[in-house]
Amino acid sequence: MDEKKALTDNNLVELAKESSEMFGLLMERYQGPLFHYVRRITQLPAEDVQDLLQEVFIKIYQKLNEYDVDLKFSSWAYRIAHNHVVDYFRKVSARPQSNVLEDYEWEKIIHAGINIEKDITNKDCVTKIKACIQELPMNYREVLILRFVEEKDYEEIMDILRKPKGTVATLIARGKDELRKKMQENNINC
Amino acid sequence: MKNLIQDTLNRIKNEQIVPEPRWKILVPKLGIWTVLGLIVLLGAIAVSVADYLLTQLDWEMPASMHQNVFVYGAIVFPYFWVVLIGLVVAGAFWGVRKTETGYRFSWLKIISVTVVGVAVIGFLMSTIGWGGRFNGMMMRDMPYYAQHTVTKETQWMQPEKGFLAGMIVTVSNDVIVINDLQGSAWNVRLNTETLVRPSVSLAVGQVIKIIGTRQDTQNFVASEIRPWMGQGMMGLGQGRGMMGADR
Repeated sequence: MDEKKALTDNNLVELAKESSEMFGLLMERYQGPLFHYVRRITQLPAEDVQDLLQEVFIKIYQKLNEYDVDLKFSSWAYRIAHNHVVDYFRKVSARPQSNVLEDYEWEKIIHAGINIEKDITNKDCVTKIKACIQELPMNYREVLILRFVEEKDYEEIMDILRKPKGTVATLIARGKDELRKKMQENNINC
Repeated sequence: MKNLIQDTLNRIKNEQIVPEPRWKILVPKLGIWTVLGLIVLLGAIAVSVADYLLTQLDWEMPASMHQNVFVYGAIVFPYFWVVLIGLVVAGAFWGVRKTETGYRFSWLKIISVTVVGVAVIGFLMSTIGWGGRFNGMMMRDMPYYAQHTVTKETQWMQPEKGFLAGMIVTVSNDVIVINDLQGSAWNVRLNTETLVRPSVSLAVGQVIKIIGTRQDTQNFVASEIRPWMGQGMMGLGQGRGMMGADR
């Protein structure tokens, strides 16, 4: 068991190409992070997220020969998940709706977005800010989630979204600006 | 919560899903790189022709035409090729961004590398004479292009403006007969004021450029004669009398 744990992602990819059973180890490693990522960006119920994730894993398996070892495997897997989610919403023509972020996840975005030093204790205020974040376009919300909830660095976000560094930085800055603007429009002053 | 891992593995087994073969992944990548290569080649051709068009022109002409060099530059500028170079750079940028790792390069880096690459290959092509050949092909096969492109030939085939060029057919004391670049015969009259550039050889078979005044559809009075290649400025200019003494 320890031997398997010692294997790098790249080793596992090579082994998975030979045996689908070994792909189970990769899934084991990324099931949690990808589940949370897909849940955060789609804001769908857990059952639906699991269905989406199964499709994501199947795609990862089919594309194993496409994996470029210069990339972190996690970035590549997140990219496939991101693309699958974008396709999914395009097909169902729906935007993510419900609020499934945990409180600590909301706080991370709120703190990063509005540069507040103190803790927000007013529950009503937090609820209002959450509503503002949910109103953000998906591209802004996703980079904010990747940066401040998933705590990915710029290079990883570039690799996941396949966007240049400057574009990523712009999306993050604009996302934060949009959030501040929406808070001003709604007279939120916590 | 269902067992995602086991369910996925079962699905892979039952549906006999396998990783896609490498060739299926490589073909589209190769396709993009091939398109990129062709785009850069097209850009290099555009550079070589633009270079050819600009360097073969007589940049002394504006002075002879009493024209501002900037106005002249605007008239002879190879707009078609420069627009094509711009499109090539934009196309290369788009193509690089479509590659697997293209997003990692800044727009400045992609554009700089493309411009330098296209320029280097283009000037190499120009050096070995491909610019002129491509331009010749275009002039021959595309009448619209030929109509709107200023070349050395079109510059020197404006007898109404005082510019004529052609091959010497016969030479006598005061008159030389030439066949112009379109095959029409002209009697070119020389007088004591005619400046014959030093490297001009007034012999049958030589191609010359003439500045002067058109008398009618067959007669032209020369005020200056230059060799077809270059300005013929080797040494001082000479008058008609001196030319006569040389002969």
